[in-house]
Amino acid sequence: MTAPLLALERVARRFRPDRPPVLEDLSFALAAGEYVAIMGESGVGKSTLLNVIAGLDRPDGGSIRLDGEELTALDDDALTLLRRRAMGFVFQAFHVLPYLTVARNVGLPLALNGCPSGEAEARVAAMLAEVGLEGSGPRLPRELSGGELQRVAIARALVHRPRLLLADEPTGNLDPRTAAQVLALLRAQVKGHGGGGLLITHSRAAAATADRVYEFDGRGLRALADR
Amino acid sequence: MSSRRQAAARLGVLALVTALTLAAADYPDVLPGAEVHLPADAGAHPLFRTEWWYVTGWLATGSGEPLGFQVTFFRTRPDGDAANPSAFAARQVLIAHAAVSDPKRQRLWHDQRILRAGFGLAAAATARTDVHLKDWSLAEQGEVFTTEVRAEGFGFALTLRPSVPPLRNGAGGYSQKGPAAASASLYYSLPQLAVTGTLERGGHAEKVTGSAWLDHEWSSAYLDAAAVGWDWVGLNLEGGAALMAFRIRDAEGTPRWAGGTLRAADGAVRILWPAELRFTPGRRWRSPRTQVEYPVEWQLQAGDLMLELKPLMDDQESDSRLTTGAVYWEGAVEARSAGQRLGRGYLELTGYGERLRLR
Amino acid sequence: MTSTGAVRVALTVFAAQLRDRPLRLAVAVGAIALGVALAAGVYLVNESALIEFGRATRQLTGAADLVIRGGRAGFDEALFARLAARPEVEVASPVVELDVSLAAGGTLTVLGVDPLVAGALQPALYGELVGRFVPLLAPQAIALSARAAESLGVSAGDRLAVQLGARQRTLAVIAVLPESAYGRRLGVMDVGSAQWTLGALGRLQRIDLRLRAGVDVARFRASLQLPAGVDALTPQVSEARGANLTRAYRVNLDMLALVALLTGAFLVFATQALAVMRRRQQLALLRALGATRAELRLAVLIEGAAVGALGGLLGAALGVAIAQFTLAALGGDLGAGFFDGERIAVAADLSTLAAFVALGIAVSVAGAWNPARDAARIAPAQALKAGDAEAAPSVRRRLPLAVGAALGGIALALGPPLRGLPLFGYASIALLLFAAVRLVPLFAAAVLARLVARRPVPALALAQLNGTVAQSAVSLAAIVVSFSLMVAMAIMVHSFRDSFDRWLGEVLPADLHFRVTPPSDTAFVSPAQALALEQLDGVARVELWRVTQLSLAPEQPPVALIARPLAASSVPLPLIARATAPNPGLPLVFASEAMRDLYAYRPGQVVELPIAGRPQRFFVAGIWRDYARSGGALAIERSVFEALVHEARYTEGSVWLAPRADGATLRERIRALLAGGETLQVIAAGELKGRALAAFDRAFAITYALEAIAVAIGLLGVGLAFAMQALARRAEFGMLRHLGLRRREVLAMLAGEGAILGALGALYGLLVGVVLSLVLVFVVNRQSFHWSLDYVLPAGPLALVAVALIAAAALTAGLTGRVVTSGSAVRAVREDW
Repeated sequence: MTAPLLALERVARRFRPDRPPVLEDLSFALAAGEYVAIMGESGVGKSTLLNVIAGLDRPDGGSIRLDGEELTALDDDALTLLRRRAMGFVFQAFHVLPYLTVARNVGLPLALNGCPSGEAEARVAAMLAEVGLEGSGPRLPRELSGGELQRVAIARALVHRPRLLLADEPTGNLDPRTAAQVLALLRAQVKGHGGGGLLITHSRAAAATADRVYEFDGRGLRALADR
Repeated sequence: MSSRRQAAARLGVLALVTALTLAAADYPDVLPGAEVHLPADAGAHPLFRTEWWYVTGWLATGSGEPLGFQVTFFRTRPDGDAANPSAFAARQVLIAHAAVSDPKRQRLWHDQRILRAGFGLAAAATARTDVHLKDWSLAEQGEVFTTEVRAEGFGFALTLRPSVPPLRNGAGGYSQKGPAAASASLYYSLPQLAVTGTLERGGHAEKVTGSAWLDHEWSSAYLDAAAVGWDWVGLNLEGGAALMAFRIRDAEGTPRWAGGTLRAADGAVRILWPAELRFTPGRRWRSPRTQVEYPVEWQLQAGDLMLELKPLMDDQESDSRLTTGAVYWEGAVEARSAGQRLGRGYLELTGYGERLRLR
Repeated sequence: MTSTGAVRVALTVFAAQLRDRPLRLAVAVGAIALGVALAAGVYLVNESALIEFGRATRQLTGAADLVIRGGRAGFDEALFARLAARPEVEVASPVVELDVSLAAGGTLTVLGVDPLVAGALQPALYGELVGRFVPLLAPQAIALSARAAESLGVSAGDRLAVQLGARQRTLAVIAVLPESAYGRRLGVMDVGSAQWTLGALGRLQRIDLRLRAGVDVARFRASLQLPAGVDALTPQVSEARGANLTRAYRVNLDMLALVALLTGAFLVFATQALAVMRRRQQLALLRALGATRAELRLAVLIEGAAVGALGGLLGAALGVAIAQFTLAALGGDLGAGFFDGERIAVAADLSTLAAFVALGIAVSVAGAWNPARDAARIAPAQALKAGDAEAAPSVRRRLPLAVGAALGGIALALGPPLRGLPLFGYASIALLLFAAVRLVPLFAAAVLARLVARRPVPALALAQLNGTVAQSAVSLAAIVVSFSLMVAMAIMVHSFRDSFDRWLGEVLPADLHFRVTPPSDTAFVSPAQALALEQLDGVARVELWRVTQLSLAPEQPPVALIARPLAASSVPLPLIARATAPNPGLPLVFASEAMRDLYAYRPGQVVELPIAGRPQRFFVAGIWRDYARSGGALAIERSVFEALVHEARYTEGSVWLAPRADGATLRERIRALLAGGETLQVIAAGELKGRALAAFDRAFAITYALEAIAVAIGLLGVGLAFAMQALARRAEFGMLRHLGLRRREVLAMLAGEGAILGALGALYGLLVGVVLSLVLVFVVNRQSFHWSLDYVLPAGPLALVAVALIAAAALTAGLTGRVVTSGSAVRAVREDW
């Protein structure tokens, strides 16, 4: 078996000493090309888990490796640069910058990673086409529907070919029909780009689009089903 | 008010200090043996510190309404710098008071003026009785005197005709004012002046007649240091007689000196010495303006004459703080004896508020 | 939802927001408070000084119906005899009025009065002296006002040495008048002893007249046949004359205070406008819930009024405190030297303070007006949608009004002074500023659209600004308003100072100067002293002046008459115009610019000057620039003057040194020779220049302070705008952090936005400021003070200030960003926007 893309070992996170830890002795692995969903009730620590993986929050103990690189050993700058290069995010609230065109929103990670503008334009155009927004590049976010905005967000999350896609309730603000389309798109994109995908949701329907589903109950991860 | 008083008192003390430290002007003394010579002495005596011409009297309107009037011209020679060539240098200062006692209205019409002599605005002639402050005047005009006053709300133009010869007070006009012989004035009176003229009150003029009394007195050392004021009376008595009497009081109100002259209808003159005069104060009246209390009724014993003095009205107080600096009572009085009227004249009460100072 | 109910709901929402964001409330209230405080403070200082000035004038005039007044030289006392004898005159009070040099330095105004008659006219002033005038008649006796006694450190019984020409005399202080008698510094002497002791025999400066009841004052006045240079003034004119002296100065300060208030209003506008933009969704929600447009608008206006009331109350209280402090520390003229250092109480009545609170409310409501309209215009459906942002500024809507205002501003700048004040000039500045602000969004949009950035962080900053031009424009306008005014003032002051500096060089050509200081009626240099001076070893040349005053118009302050050697070939004056017409053989007079403005003197004209009580004809040979006397100055040949007054005495002079002469030693010798005690100042030209410039800077210190406050308010607005935008963009920053932007890159982006805005503001503000400065230099200053300036652009300092402004804007933006981004990026992205 090849080394996993993402490996968590005995990760612990406690916010306050007088409260039980949010994460305790948590271990989990994700292989390249794998698309995994984590489910759980609100407030059990799903997002903390996501943030720890993204390097936006630091665990109190344990080890997190991305492509064999130990994240806990990196400082904030190195983590930020790693995130810039190797991760993509999709949020529940889209977070598309209102004053930038669709193309510029999508192109942000490429710009940040210093991609030459000619190449970037081509990649953005291709990416938009992949998410079904061909030709929408010059439009402004206020002209788009919610589903379209989340497609823009997905395009932005994947345009720089990240190793890991992190999606936090990406369909929370969408109607079921649009949600289904977005979920299908997410899965297709993760599979198509060869990286790994981690979907955090409390929706069973959403979770059902993943390869594997874990239930997170605050004590640990429990595998629910494999596809 | 009290701080004003204090400031005023300070100024007074300073006046004294200044008078002592700066070379004081040379004022002639009035010493025993000095005499009044008329008509030469009728004019002003500019070297003396103080001088006045004092006209007081009773008037009656056509309807018989009784009134008192007084008009006074003061002259004072301040401690100035004699060498100052300025036309404004205050070599002589002239002050005039005028008042009409109006018992029917219970009102004292009064006004005052003060000017330094010069620029033709105010002067006191030395050759004869002739003193004026702008259009207020008293002057000898041949056989008569005329006086004219144009004051705030009232005025008069009167002719005063002598009916008896002048009366020199004291020894030939030397009138002693205290135990020390140098505390004295030169002093003569013209009693029994027949008055005719017009009197104007509140824009209404009418003819008046009456009788008046003219005093002319000058001195450089009138009151000694212990004296605070005086009580004075000048009465035209029935039948042409006249009585002038005064007493000088100290701070306790005790008489320090007194004097007087009584001329009988036949012209016989009697000089009254301190022992021959007794002033007994009677009813008192308190001024609502200054809160000063004055004895406005008196028992007066002058030689063997016993008189009761009753005021024409109570409020005849003169506030002349703006000119002479004094507040005093100067009013028409009637002299009675056993219910009979013996004469009419004027009573002057000074030094009841604060010590009278003569400039 | 009932109408009042809707407003109440809207207000509840706003109130909750205010509780949630107290900083915003505090800044808005603070801005209004600061503006009102400045306006109220300056107004109260001016008003209190004026009231005191008027009271003092009335105390001096008392119950007089007419005041006969000559210039400083006064008139022959024969006039008194003539007037006092007139039957219409009830009281004629002769007055000698002299500024007497004190041996210990400084001067004291001494009135020589006849307390016997003056007491009838001015009982409050002379009451204490009247009934007891005898001590005052003593030679050299003087009574002092309480203020004079205090400032001179003497009391009754002390002595006071005064300087009369080269001699000193000692006066005896016989009394100190009570505080209530007169609030300013004053000495009172008897008129006779003043004439003699102070060397003014035969002359009076004033006669106060009270006329008999029923006398027609105007008719009597017309019948007086006064000598030339002597006027009969009614008390009202006397008072106006005093107020006229400082009027222009006061109005200028009032205007500066108003600028501060308007900047405050602008800040309210900025906060309200941004709040409305930020709350578009909430406002739209309220609309969706059934609030009408009018109700929303009313709610925003009420919020503005509440901010105004709060700020107004605070500001009024602060204003009284400022006035109290200023009057105590600087005096009634804010240190400009018009008043004689007297103590002035703040004259603040309740209605005045209420008016300032009302002004605060009005200004704040005005500031909220546009935002309220914008709030009402929000389309609910559009605004409720995520990602909604405001539309781009409309050129068609903004341009016509802006152009109209600018044209109006230019037209107004050409207007004449109104009642002696540059009111059109001020209106012009207001209109030009309005036009400039109106054009800010267009300018911002045009410039931002042309800016390109390659690197991602600046590109993001630029994109943000480009995407939010309307919000950026508000910040920009705040910068433009305060910075352009500052630039304009700086250019004006710099031009003034530069012109003044060069002028000083022209009027002080010699090595040493001496003069009677402060100007006085008693200290002078005699011809004998002057002769000895010329013969001093090391002295090459001496030029002597006699400076006195003429009264040419009753309601105007006196005009300075400078009698000095004037060789027609090379007139030692900074001339700006010369007569071309032929001189009909008259003596020459050179008039200062103020004479041209105030008395319509023109080169080539023949004028009559009242000298020695008679009108004397002079030929106006030229106009010269004079920064020393805004009331006007005339220069004539000294020998002409001396022939007219039959008197030779000098008050100023210049000394040229022989080669190799030692200035310092000679200075001491001249000082010893002139023996003027502390009243005669001998000073090197360089030092005199330095002192004059220092005095100039002192006089403008308050201007600088007000300016600085206006800029501070402007920067506060910028900071506020950034803070609010940054708060609104928290989620955006969080997302950018997720995308891999380091925190310092986020801050750099914000600082970049600030720097770009700062640069735009500085550039635009400079342009506008230069335009405004033209109005200030050529209209406002000219019409206020009656002198022209050479326009000088202080490029270096302005560039420096512009750079400082850009840095401050960047720093402000960065700092606010620091506060905002200090929170968790994780939490930020959870917020919906």
